[in-house]
Amino acid sequence: MTASDLLLQQLINGLSLGAMYALLALGFTLVYGILELINFSHFNVFMIGSFVGLYILQAFGLSGQAVILTGLPLAIALLTAFVGTMLVSGGLGVVIERVCLRPLRTVKGPAAMITTIGVSYILFNVVLLTIGADSKNFPNPLPDVQFHFGSAVLRLREILIWIIATLLMIGLYLFVQKSRMGKAMRATAQDPEAARMMGVEVDQVIIMAFFLGSALAGAGGLIFGLYYNFTSFIIGFNAGLRAFTAAVLGGIGSIPGAMAGGIIIGLIEAMGGQVVSVAWTDVIIFSLLVLVLVFRPAGLFGRLAPTKS
Amino acid sequence: MSGDVSAQTTAMRLPLWTRAIAWLPEARRRQLGLLLLTAAALAFPLIHDNDADIDSAANAASYATLALGLNIVVGMAGLLDLGYAAFFAIGAYAYGILSSFQLMPPWTPFWEPFAWLHLVEKMNQGGGDLVHFTVSFWLMMPVSALLAAGFGVLFGAPTLRLKGDYLAIVTLGFGEIVPIVVRNWSSLTNGAMGLNGVAAPSLFGTSFGIDATPYYYVAIAMVALLIFISIRLRDSRIGRAWMAIREDEIAAGAMGVDLVRLKLMAFAIGAAFAGMTGTFYVAKLQTATPEMFGFPVSVMILVMVVFGGLGSVWGVVLGAVILQLLQSWFLQDLSGWLHVLGDLVGSPFLQKIDLVPSIELIFGIILVVMMLYRREGLIPATRKVPALSFDQQHAEVRRGGFSALSGIGQEDAPGAPLLEIKGLTVRFGGLVALKSIDLTVPAGSVVAVIGPNGSGKSTMFNVATGLIRAGSGSIRFAGEEILGLAPHEVLKRGLARTFQNIRLFPNLTVLENILVGQHARLRTGPLRAILRLPGTRAEERAATEWAMEIVSVFGNRLLPRVSQTVNSLSYANRRRVEIARALASRPRLLLLDEPTAGMNPAETLELAEQIKSLHKLGLTILLIEHKLDVVTSLADIVVVLDHGEQIAKGTPAEVRQDEEVLRAYLGRNSQAGSAGVV
Amino acid sequence: MLSEITASVPTGGLLLEFQDVDTHYGDLHVLKKVNYTIGQGEIVSLLGGNACGKSTTMKTIMGVVRPTRGRVVFDGKPIEKLSTAERVRRGIAPVLEARRLFTRMTVYENLEMGAYTKPRGADFDADLERVYSLFPRVKERRAQIAGTLSGGEQQMVAIGRALMARPRLICMDEPSMGLSPLYVEQTFDIIQEINRQGTTIFMVEQNANMALSIAHRAYVLQTGQVVLSGTAAELRQNPAIREAYLGEMQVAV
Repeated sequence: MTASDLLLQQLINGLSLGAMYALLALGFTLVYGILELINFSHFNVFMIGSFVGLYILQAFGLSGQAVILTGLPLAIALLTAFVGTMLVSGGLGVVIERVCLRPLRTVKGPAAMITTIGVSYILFNVVLLTIGADSKNFPNPLPDVQFHFGSAVLRLREILIWIIATLLMIGLYLFVQKSRMGKAMRATAQDPEAARMMGVEVDQVIIMAFFLGSALAGAGGLIFGLYYNFTSFIIGFNAGLRAFTAAVLGGIGSIPGAMAGGIIIGLIEAMGGQVVSVAWTDVIIFSLLVLVLVFRPAGLFGRLAPTKS
Repeated sequence: MSGDVSAQTTAMRLPLWTRAIAWLPEARRRQLGLLLLTAAALAFPLIHDNDADIDSAANAASYATLALGLNIVVGMAGLLDLGYAAFFAIGAYAYGILSSFQLMPPWTPFWEPFAWLHLVEKMNQGGGDLVHFTVSFWLMMPVSALLAAGFGVLFGAPTLRLKGDYLAIVTLGFGEIVPIVVRNWSSLTNGAMGLNGVAAPSLFGTSFGIDATPYYYVAIAMVALLIFISIRLRDSRIGRAWMAIREDEIAAGAMGVDLVRLKLMAFAIGAAFAGMTGTFYVAKLQTATPEMFGFPVSVMILVMVVFGGLGSVWGVVLGAVILQLLQSWFLQDLSGWLHVLGDLVGSPFLQKIDLVPSIELIFGIILVVMMLYRREGLIPATRKVPALSFDQQHAEVRRGGFSALSGIGQEDAPGAPLLEIKGLTVRFGGLVALKSIDLTVPAGSVVAVIGPNGSGKSTMFNVATGLIRAGSGSIRFAGEEILGLAPHEVLKRGLARTFQNIRLFPNLTVLENILVGQHARLRTGPLRAILRLPGTRAEERAATEWAMEIVSVFGNRLLPRVSQTVNSLSYANRRRVEIARALASRPRLLLLDEPTAGMNPAETLELAEQIKSLHKLGLTILLIEHKLDVVTSLADIVVVLDHGEQIAKGTPAEVRQDEEVLRAYLGRNSQAGSAGVV
Repeated sequence: MLSEITASVPTGGLLLEFQDVDTHYGDLHVLKKVNYTIGQGEIVSLLGGNACGKSTTMKTIMGVVRPTRGRVVFDGKPIEKLSTAERVRRGIAPVLEARRLFTRMTVYENLEMGAYTKPRGADFDADLERVYSLFPRVKERRAQIAGTLSGGEQQMVAIGRALMARPRLICMDEPSMGLSPLYVEQTFDIIQEINRQGTTIFMVEQNANMALSIAHRAYVLQTGQVVLSGTAAELRQNPAIREAYLGEMQVAV
């Protein structure tokens, strides 16, 4: 492989990873924007999403790379998997909010964040204890269509991942910008009390933020499985932390920021693994997180919120 | 009636020793409890001669030391640290590398003096002579503590300015980086394979080897030492400052607490506990791998602290011991019992069940359940003070007054300018909050600032006291430029303030709030707090006396309430405590932001008299106030602000006649209604 | 002094009533057995110093703070247990202290948020036209981000936003705060105009004389208690208002 082919290949990989991180980062940003809460349970909602996707695909009789679908059956299987996964993980997010976080909404200090760490631990260990520690082979029903650019390879599944992630992000963006509920979400993020006094049911807005964020995390989990051909109870932590870094990078609370941050982190992971070493990728990403938080806490694209005295 | 009788008979039936305990004064009872606990801990290995159980107990004790360290950071100072295990790793690898065969540079004469100090020895494994590190465990305990503290400062320094939840994420990031570095830097750490052959400690030439008992005693000694240090720190100037930061960072800074320094101190001391424990832990295991120090370990220690009670020294020790023993004893036993039950009922599921791996699930459940239902933990850190009795609440209100307060208002010669503001302009984005303000406060005077809400009065206070660092122009205090100084620096020079919307430390008592006000005037550092020599004791005693002297000025209003937490006080009493807290810092200039807001006429008059008596003592006062009769009766000079600009200045009488003032306050209808108004 | 409180009764039918309302923040007792009556078509002003309970009154009307005792009656029905959204639906709209626009949304989106509880349709369009005709300036700036407007323009948007809910009662929290005298006068003219068009106004104000110049009646609040009330004309004549104004009080010791 020539250097330029290598670069192209890592660009392809980075964009796929980035799409996944962006979906996951959106969940952090939606919840943080409204509640100013870092939601650690999001890490493992993502992980559970990938298992839900796995089981739905298995229900279609798919296993590993043995069965290849084309045409309508493929479309139906994928659509069902994405919709089902997003509904289940979105529902999980809503349950977490309703049961564990709502009672703490008026409590000051780190109580809510500590609770999300606890919830994350519960999800993680329930999967570990019931499904087991070994990683599961993920079905990949896509035909192995490849496009070659020099020695760089672009496969059908990467194109599919880009399309799905782009559609989801455009959908979210339109929802937040144009719909009545989306406007209520933005208003609540800017001034919860004023929004409430306009007649916005803030509880509904918060539930919607958890539902959308968790649903996108579920879609990200499914994409993880399709991309790496496996899933495991352990995938939430690293992906979650990287996605959180992405959200911070783009300015936490900002939806376009989370998308851009996700892509940047995906590219850094792909390129960093190539240029330095895979073993140090995490150090690069965490160092970036620390640097951004220390020197540009509003994110690369964010503006500093005016401080109220 | 019958209830009384049965209660009495129950008391009669109690054994003699129980009644004897009930008769003991509380301090004695506590000493007795401590004595029994120590005796039990010391006797345990003698009574229960099972090496595995003694080993579990030693592990439990070392987790207790970790929990004590994290408790200082999270519980006392309120800094959520999710990467605490990193410091544990640093202490572990420091000893591990310096007492194993991992690093073996070639022998040169450079090493001779170290060999003489028994830090290294010469070795020959067939090739040339090599260096073998043989640093003593006992030396490494304090060295690791210092090393980890150093890393605590290193990690903390860039991050401590961040908001609480960002700090959590950054510490999590550091907590991940350290094990990754350990894993990848194999030449130093042997990577994922782990360090092997770490030397066991030895005492008087006898190695501890693999016998659990000596480790147990070292661990117990560590727990005892760290409990002692934790309690000494908690009950000192340092601990009060940490709790003030936890309760209200902005108010803590404004009361003279150097936020960065105190937070770093908490980070460093917490890290030192972990570093020391790391050395102990690796010496006991005689190996170290990166997996021993990851995120799960940080969370486990956090669970112990949350479970036991954030900020509660005995609570976190109990939490750590219970959870560690749950893991190593109880879950195993329970699994065994379930197997037996499974055999009896013929259930293959029960026969095979193993509950030990579910420990992390239990940790998760504990975190959630504690946060939802018992946030104060097993042993709450703040003790509940009984509410005031009816008599105390309705005791006759005796007005205090400041007849003499040692050291208040005697420093400055009257008349000379004490505070000089020149050309002060403050912008927030496009909005001009203050526009080239000039203001002079002569020593010994009372200057009042009035103006409609939103006219920039509080902004002026915030800039003068360093809370807003965005102004241009000049603010001189006693001739020295203070614009841009941090709040604690401003307070140190003698400006103390109150806040319009009252910023006390809600979960601290009235007395503790006032003691925090003295932070900048006291000397006790962490070392002196721990040693508590006679000098420190005297300082604390004097501080408490000074606090009580100030409290007594407010008469019966505060005196019976000194040990109540301030969140149980009325609005007016909170204002009084805030003024008392500001006075405690022995200010040369007192800034009062609407001191009578929310007070009824009687309370207003009472406070106005107290402020007047302060003025008579010679204290200089700058006052924001809306109630004109208060302003008239107190102020020598009145300054009127409107839209960030000074529109009038003069004596109260002059200002009341000023056309501009009438317009700002009354608008277009001033003619119609002003006759009866001003 | 307190004996001078005149019984103050609205002339038309009742729209909003506070009956012996108490509120608490934790251990703090804020409103103490407070009674207000506001009639249809009135402008009623609530005067008092800082921290006396004015904003808490606002929040109690809007349902952000719930009374611990007593009733809040709107249009003959108790509302103290209803959600804020339901109160907005029934016809109460706020103009918040310091405007509190959604600063990162456009002016039009802010107006839309005002009509959050109303369906889109002819009514919405009519309300929008009404706001635009009251405030031609707002129409000009409808596509602009609200945070970039001047203070006076923001006040217009805030009032327009309240009108978009087609309210029967508008609650205003310190409409004069932070505005230059010119804008204060404009704002008060608009308030009178809106009131003439049939909307009842309840207004918390520190600028007492200004408020009394347009109000029909007023209440004076002090440490959570109503210490004075009456028609605006009476209160302007009452020497006690001198003390009440700016919270000034003289007390016999």
